[in-house]
Amino acid sequence: MRRVAVIGVGVTKFGRHERTSAELFAEAAADALADAEMPASRVQALYYGNVVGGETEKQLHTGPQAASVLGIPTVPTTRFETACASSHAAFRHAVMEVASGASDVVLVGGAERVLNVPTADSTEYFAYASDASWEQTLGLTFPGVFALVARAHMHKHGTTEEQMAAVAVKNHRHGVLNPKAQFRKEITLETVLSSPKVADPLKLYDCCPFSDGGAALVLASEDVARTARRPIWVLASAAASDWMLLGDKRDLSRVPATERAAAAAYRQAGIGPQDVDVVELHDCFTIAEIVATEGLGLFEPGAGGIAAEKGWTSLGGKIPVNPSGGLKAKGHPIGATGAAQICEVVTQLRGEAGARQVEGARRGLTHTLGGNTATVLVSLFGRD
Amino acid sequence: MTESTVTLGRFFAAAREGRLTAIRCGGCGALAVPPKELCPECGARRWEPVPLSGEGTIASFTVIRVAPRGHADEAPYAIAAVRLREGVSLLGRVVDVPLDSLAIGMPVRFRPIVVKDRPAIGFGPRQP
Ligand SMILES: [Zn+2]
Repeated sequence: MRRVAVIGVGVTKFGRHERTSAELFAEAAADALADAEMPASRVQALYYGNVVGGETEKQLHTGPQAASVLGIPTVPTTRFETACASSHAAFRHAVMEVASGASDVVLVGGAERVLNVPTADSTEYFAYASDASWEQTLGLTFPGVFALVARAHMHKHGTTEEQMAAVAVKNHRHGVLNPKAQFRKEITLETVLSSPKVADPLKLYDCCPFSDGGAALVLASEDVARTARRPIWVLASAAASDWMLLGDKRDLSRVPATERAAAAAYRQAGIGPQDVDVVELHDCFTIAEIVATEGLGLFEPGAGGIAAEKGWTSLGGKIPVNPSGGLKAKGHPIGATGAAQICEVVTQLRGEAGARQVEGARRGLTHTLGGNTATVLVSLFGRD
Repeated sequence: MTESTVTLGRFFAAAREGRLTAIRCGGCGALAVPPKELCPECGARRWEPVPLSGEGTIASFTVIRVAPRGHADEAPYAIAAVRLREGVSLLGRVVDVPLDSLAIGMPVRFRPIVVKDRPAIGFGPRQP
């Protein structure tokens, strides 16, 4: 297998847009190609993530549509759907296409548009990623899924609502430093704790927002990447799945798919969690960040809440987590999120993250979770 | 599909009548929630239906206050993951329990419910 590098990145501003998801992707992709100093004519494939296009835009076949709007209509294109992990899944498969020698230059990205529909509708569409017969019938929501995780974690480890709130406060503080973030406003523990309940014990400020946005990156083989301005190497990209039904998961305080994907990624790269300098992980809810920091091996099981409370995951802390502001503050356009996390880690490893730069970062990790914890992808990156 | 396979349709038809059915692997004895074609433990394709007592305890719970479009008129409502006596777990609505008295470890019993004309899993209070 050949070495693969990310040689260009592009992300739209996250938030409310009056453009289709294809337009949002196209902006990000054109930015990524310009960043890579790579003409579109050299792109040999597009791997694309989009989740609820069928619902919010009444649009299927979003891969070729995105390629057409970008202006590369004849490039082979496939759309990936693994709920919120879609564009990270797209990334993993694109890495394999380049590593195998099938292609030298591949575009990866994703986009989502949801703020064009009311919250009750987007809440319903997101719930389609839970089981239709067993879970949607009950009126289970995604905040509900992670509320069940939160209660189990609180019961087993003594994690507190204040510790969860500390995740939101930290990610909002980071978001202020990111010009592309949806929310660029600091909040306090009190803001989180006094916000309206969404699914007990989760409150409004424990939840990431609904967002529109797009993200894209250019992958290249080692030969091509050697001529690039600042290649960032893909050290590993691993996926894991788990039972679809929450009832089939034995311990709701854990996300076994995160643990398995992380173990596979560390093995591929030949490094461990202690070697990682910067992490972008899937904080769709504050408890999700706490459980992910444990599953990725950054902290012992049960210590994720303490780590958040002590500031160990802040910029300047032991291991900075979500310097971009995370899904919580940067925003979560679900089809774009996995690619956007990779764009942030690449930017960090290049040393180009400005006010939110993790000083001297050499290795980075991205973690994206899909659905009711049934899909997780973990990738590792390094600079020369 | 073999004759003894419990389909989703059969499971919920029985649940509507008050009967919960799991499936037991003829190869290794593992108990599972239907439908399953292959045993995730041993790979066998021989299942037998097994009635469940419906008795269990709450493993985790939440109160949904912001509901999806289709359930907005029902909020707030409680959803719990319930560990059944036999060892499998099911998600269900908790009914007839005050929302502020829900707790992990609380004993509950299966109760068939219908949500928006569809059969669903419910749990009501049970004396330990
Ligand atoms: Zn078996």
